[in-house]
Amino acid sequence: MEFALKMIFEVLSYASIMVIIVLGLAVIISMMDIVNIAHAEFVMLGAYWVYLMELWQFPIWLAMMTAPLIVALLGIIVEKTIFRRLYDNVITGILASYALAIVLREGVRSLLQGKEYYVAVSYSGSIEVFGIQFSLWRMAIITITVIVIIFCYLLLTRTSVGLKVRGALDNPSLARTSGISTTRLYSLTFAFGAGLAGLAGAMIVPLYGISADLGARFLIQAFYSALLGGIGGFIEPVLGAVVVGSSLSGFQWLRNISGLDQFTSPVSIDVMVFLVILIVVKLRPDGIFTSKQ
Amino acid sequence: MKTVPRYHITPILEVVVLAMLLITPLLASRFITISLTPILILAMLAISFDLCWGYTGILSFGQGFFFGIGGYTVALLINKAQLLNFYALSAAAILSGIIIAGLFGVFLFFGSTRQGIFIALSTLALSYLGERLFNGWFWVGAANGQNIWEVVSVMGIELNPGISFYYFILFLLAVTYLLCRFVVKSQLGLVLSGVRQNEERLDFLGYRIQVPKFLIFVFAAAIAGFAGGLYSLHEAFVGPTYIGWVFSTFAALYCIFGGSGTLIGPIIGTLAIELGRLYLTDIEEIRAYWQIVLGLLMIGVIVFRPTGIVGFIISEKERIGYFGYKVSKWRFRKKWAQKASMEGPKI
Repeated sequence: MEFALKMIFEVLSYASIMVIIVLGLAVIISMMDIVNIAHAEFVMLGAYWVYLMELWQFPIWLAMMTAPLIVALLGIIVEKTIFRRLYDNVITGILASYALAIVLREGVRSLLQGKEYYVAVSYSGSIEVFGIQFSLWRMAIITITVIVIIFCYLLLTRTSVGLKVRGALDNPSLARTSGISTTRLYSLTFAFGAGLAGLAGAMIVPLYGISADLGARFLIQAFYSALLGGIGGFIEPVLGAVVVGSSLSGFQWLRNISGLDQFTSPVSIDVMVFLVILIVVKLRPDGIFTSKQ
Repeated sequence: MKTVPRYHITPILEVVVLAMLLITPLLASRFITISLTPILILAMLAISFDLCWGYTGILSFGQGFFFGIGGYTVALLINKAQLLNFYALSAAAILSGIIIAGLFGVFLFFGSTRQGIFIALSTLALSYLGERLFNGWFWVGAANGQNIWEVVSVMGIELNPGISFYYFILFLLAVTYLLCRFVVKSQLGLVLSGVRQNEERLDFLGYRIQVPKFLIFVFAAAIAGFAGGLYSLHEAFVGPTYIGWVFSTFAALYCIFGGSGTLIGPIIGTLAIELGRLYLTDIEEIRAYWQIVLGLLMIGVIVFRPTGIVGFIISEKERIGYFGYKVSKWRFRKKWAQKASMEGPKI
């Protein structure tokens, strides 16, 4: 029983990480049709910023608060220079974002001299609930994710900015004629998505450390979550992220406990889930959570 | 638009490149020859990417995957099955590309709409997961890859790095190039250009666009697999990195930098970047930042100069094909096609 609780807890925390990463990604894709492969690198940059702040002897909580802002700033710069020219050409945009990802990844790799580092977080440790040890930091991740989701939902539905965003999502030309500056909205959205990525990176750095390839392992998963859940809404990609994150983490756990880890490697889980998602996305190209309109 | 000469520059370019490649080993050192041979093989890989992206608009990050699979096929056949017949090996490498691309391609192309992103991401995932899979798979050597100790011979030439191997590869590259030229200038090539320009329109005109896309994908994968096999023969080694993102990135970079959509562009791009790497990375500072330089180069070309190197040499007018004429048809650039439609049909 307690084992199941522990497993659910860890699955939830991994799914939460997925949710935050995918939220930023999906917002950008839904809004501007920009498939940003460099999103994983934004995550990595958030983690890198926390590492830098620790190096410069700043408190960790400050690093975690500022990481999203820094990455959002970078997002604005990137959007203005690169993606703005490629709005009408989605596939070329993908290629450009791929090149950007390389620049960022290799840049950080040379800054880190190819090594991995671990960031000491004073919030590590665990609390005991019902006799089970729960990692404090993972709890924080789950809590922050829930807060972020609620915050985004309120932002989208209750504020005027959210109204403009939803309007521009629905019908960009109509929004423009109504006086909404879509270019500014796009910059804002991109910055928001990038900021979310930075937040995710800052949150996962105590768990995974900082290395240049930190983002890459989440990249494919994030994209498939977005494709699976459905692009164009708010809650669908989130649900997709929950599904993908849970299945990946859950099946890894199953693999560990069922004794199959003698025969199969961890990557076989990834491959299996990837194939299943591929088939599902093929059958339901708009995502399994979007309703047919 | 400035006035353009009446002759076509492209054949001149081809002859110049061919002449340079023919003469270099005779004048240069053996080191250059041995360094140039894998570059020619990588040029084949770049051509395969160009077929997908430059002509058809399919963004396939999977060319590296087929490259690596071809290499592994050859290495495994030599090491596990002691198969040393070059023709059988190359047939196997080509087949590996065809089979896997065929299976995967059926999946990718037939069925849903909204394919561009799906194809890009799926081939990206294919490369990534393929590399991780082979990295952990004991039977193919895991992270150590496969070393090839035997020497394969064909028609009396020993396939060891050296001048004869170089000319053999150059010959194969020329054959591949001509084959691709033939495909691209055929009716299939025309349909592919249409797909790149406006898939929907072609669909409404009644073409089953999935079929040519699938065909060119498989064809490009076959070339990539063949190139991979040759590469593993030359390097006498194949490892999991050959399957992953690294070579897919190189394929894209060479093609775009040289000039996508012209078959000579990828060759020039490969030569430019790899020879650049050969000479520039002697300088310590550049070597450390080479990858970043490549990435920045890629961004720069995509954003500022999408026509690549070849765009400087081949005039814009020559890129526009002439329908109904038996002169060289070159692929359309969206911009130029719009210009052409504004200026009226050139008949």
